[in-house]
Amino acid sequence: MSLFLYIDHPTALHRLNPIVKVLGMLCFFVAAFVTQAPAAALPVAVAMCGLITAARAWRNVWRLRVLFVMVFIMTFIIWTLFFRGGVPFFSWGPLHVSTAALRFALGMAIKLDTFLGVGIVFLSTTKIEEFAYALTRVGMPYKLGFTMTLAFRLVPVFLDSAATVVQAQRCRGFNFDEGNLLQRMRRYVPVIVPVFMGALRRADGMAMALEARGFQANTQRSTFEHFTFRRSDALALLMAIAVAVAYVVLASLGYTSVPAV
Amino acid sequence: MSASDTAAIRLEHLSFTYADQAEPALRDISLAVGRGEMIAVMGATGAGKTTLAKCLNRSVPAFQPGRLSGEIHIFGQQLQDEGVADMAGIVGLVSQDFEAQLFATNVVQEVVFGMEQLGVAPAEMKRRAPQALAAVGLQGFEQRDPATLSGGEKQRLAIAATLALQPRIFVFDEPTTDLDPLGKLEIFAVLSALRRQGFTLIVIEHEIAAAEQADRLIVMNAGRIVCDDSAVKVLRRATFLQGHGVRPPDRSRIAEALRLSPPPTTFAETEAAIRARRGSVPVGEPAPSRQTPCRRDEAALIEATDISFGYDSAAAALKNVSLRLAAGEFVALIGQNGSGKTTLAKHLNGLLRPRSGRVTLSGTDLGALTMSSVAAEIGYVFQNPDHQIFAATVAEEIAFGPKNFGVAAGELTERIDDALEAVGIRGLEDADPFLLAKGQRQRLAVASILAMRPRFLILDEPTTGLDYDEQRRMMDLLARLHSQGMAVLIITHSPWVVAEYAERGVLMSGGRVLFDGSLRSLLAEEALLARAHFQAPEVTRLGRQFGFTPLSVEEFSRRLSAVKSSPTSRTQ
Repeated sequence: MSLFLYIDHPTALHRLNPIVKVLGMLCFFVAAFVTQAPAAALPVAVAMCGLITAARAWRNVWRLRVLFVMVFIMTFIIWTLFFRGGVPFFSWGPLHVSTAALRFALGMAIKLDTFLGVGIVFLSTTKIEEFAYALTRVGMPYKLGFTMTLAFRLVPVFLDSAATVVQAQRCRGFNFDEGNLLQRMRRYVPVIVPVFMGALRRADGMAMALEARGFQANTQRSTFEHFTFRRSDALALLMAIAVAVAYVVLASLGYTSVPAV
Repeated sequence: MSASDTAAIRLEHLSFTYADQAEPALRDISLAVGRGEMIAVMGATGAGKTTLAKCLNRSVPAFQPGRLSGEIHIFGQQLQDEGVADMAGIVGLVSQDFEAQLFATNVVQEVVFGMEQLGVAPAEMKRRAPQALAAVGLQGFEQRDPATLSGGEKQRLAIAATLALQPRIFVFDEPTTDLDPLGKLEIFAVLSALRRQGFTLIVIEHEIAAAEQADRLIVMNAGRIVCDDSAVKVLRRATFLQGHGVRPPDRSRIAEALRLSPPPTTFAETEAAIRARRGSVPVGEPAPSRQTPCRRDEAALIEATDISFGYDSAAAALKNVSLRLAAGEFVALIGQNGSGKTTLAKHLNGLLRPRSGRVTLSGTDLGALTMSSVAAEIGYVFQNPDHQIFAATVAEEIAFGPKNFGVAAGELTERIDDALEAVGIRGLEDADPFLLAKGQRQRLAVASILAMRPRFLILDEPTTGLDYDEQRRMMDLLARLHSQGMAVLIITHSPWVVAEYAERGVLMSGGRVLFDGSLRSLLAEEALLARAHFQAPEVTRLGRQFGFTPLSVEEFSRRLSAVKSSPTSRTQ
């Protein structure tokens, strides 16, 4: 199992400066965030589909299809039922369904899937190291950025170790499906302790290996991947900013909201 | 230029005591290593080898504090208060645990990581990275995620990442311990390439192959250097090596047993020396002794029929495998990592369910049984004891299994006692399992399974990471259990363990069983073994030159001695 969504393709999106990718993603988040009406959310969603195609990342969307569908359906149902305002055409107890609620819910569902999709475009085209690089360039301390990279690498390792521990304890008759919640929590001790001890041991080994490779050396650090800021980066950034600004303006003029009537 | 300047490493009266220990880990070590020299270091667990390695890049005392005295000179410079990171471009340390040495999400990033820390210019990194990868044979792997590499590839990547920092001294701390035979060969090839390039190498290793490449072999015991001489000479001293917990080459034990002189130093020389000493050499197989043929005739205890399995939809880990295991057998399951050994073993106790085919226990389909009822019959000891140890005391750890089966208090005490006795850790009932030595933890893991009183014991690499004496103790324990009627199946990469202890051998490759039969017949299948990258013990290969298949040095020597005393007699 891999947690990484990065796909190594030579697309124009992959080649963008990581800072541009982060800022571009934020611009799309802003644009999606300020919209309510489905008609307003749709253009951003369409643009997102275009980006996924350009990034050749449909494979990842397919991998996470369940997530997309679940988010869409759950959002739609919840907002349909809990949207305050509009004239209900159906009521049942405290629940009211109005046309406005349906529109708002549809807008929200598109919006959240857009967040997901834009995130996937970013993760499909950006190596973790590039992400960390971009974050450090915009002011995050190096060690924090590096820790994040390491976390991405270690999560699968720990999941793997937890799976092995569960198997090892099952071989000793361990059964964790019995009892109430508290009993179950206590029952997990035979799993938690070995995983935790293993993590500590690994952290020890890693700290030593990290320093052996010069981590924390007092010299100035350099970066292997040299990211220039090219014309394509400027163009991409301008387009993304234009989209965000346009949406903020339209939203402030009230064009993207769902009127509560 | 003073004499000290010609040495890459010079240690003077180096002693070290860990802060939490009473006894010193290193006692008055003095040693000079010339530039471009390759030194092998051998010795039992606790001899001080790793401490010595860590002193050379300052991880000791930086990470494990303690009292250090004496001097360490690297290229004539005495180490003072350098940090580990300061040593990065000077002494490269590569350890056994390759998983803990990889931090990046692709191979190139891994190699440049250290260079970035040291502020190497990007142009220079672009030059060094491909060189380092080429030096360990990882060209073409640049964009791979390290997590997807094999063990040998991961360790080679760790070496490349260290190499890119251009240290002139490399220290390897058991670099091949966690690798399969092919992975070990890959690392030894890299070592010899580094040696040709003039690096100064210190290699701590249990495998003889490393010592055979070295100029000098140092044997350590209880913190002291007990021997420091040319590797060829030391390797001949079989009894001496065994006395210090080091497994000597088979040929040296043979040479000692048969009093060959001058002592041969290579396989070919040994063969020639034996031929020269006697006009006639034995031909044909000896009578079956301890080794019994596999018991196909008996009713199967566990039977896997035509099982297939895959972890993901793409690749099949097992392809139509069938295996019958009877009560009281001793089976070795061998093959490369990824050949399906562990996957097959996990099917035998129901941890994994086959995609197709069936597994039965005494005739009942495992699918119809609960995991715990199977666990009571078939004990499974995982490779790493740390994946199961969790309790506060040894006794509690052993009690966990039987308690899960509802064993009553009175019987529980008896079972704990028996298990402690069986694995030889009586007296440690109240000890904290986490503070035990690796060999003891491994035996505790076995004890905690034995307490469930299974009829069949499966062990995944029970000797990996143990020194020679601990390996012997573990295998003798299994042999004793076996003689009391326990059926045993071990997964292992260790040729001598297979040859000296198992009765039956199952060889796997690519998810299939390549061979299943008596061990002696398996070890005679040279072509098949080669295909699976498994090399029979040296003594067996030597015997094959004389037309028989000995399983131990004792058997080989006995047979040749018998021939010597009455040249005409033929063992039947």
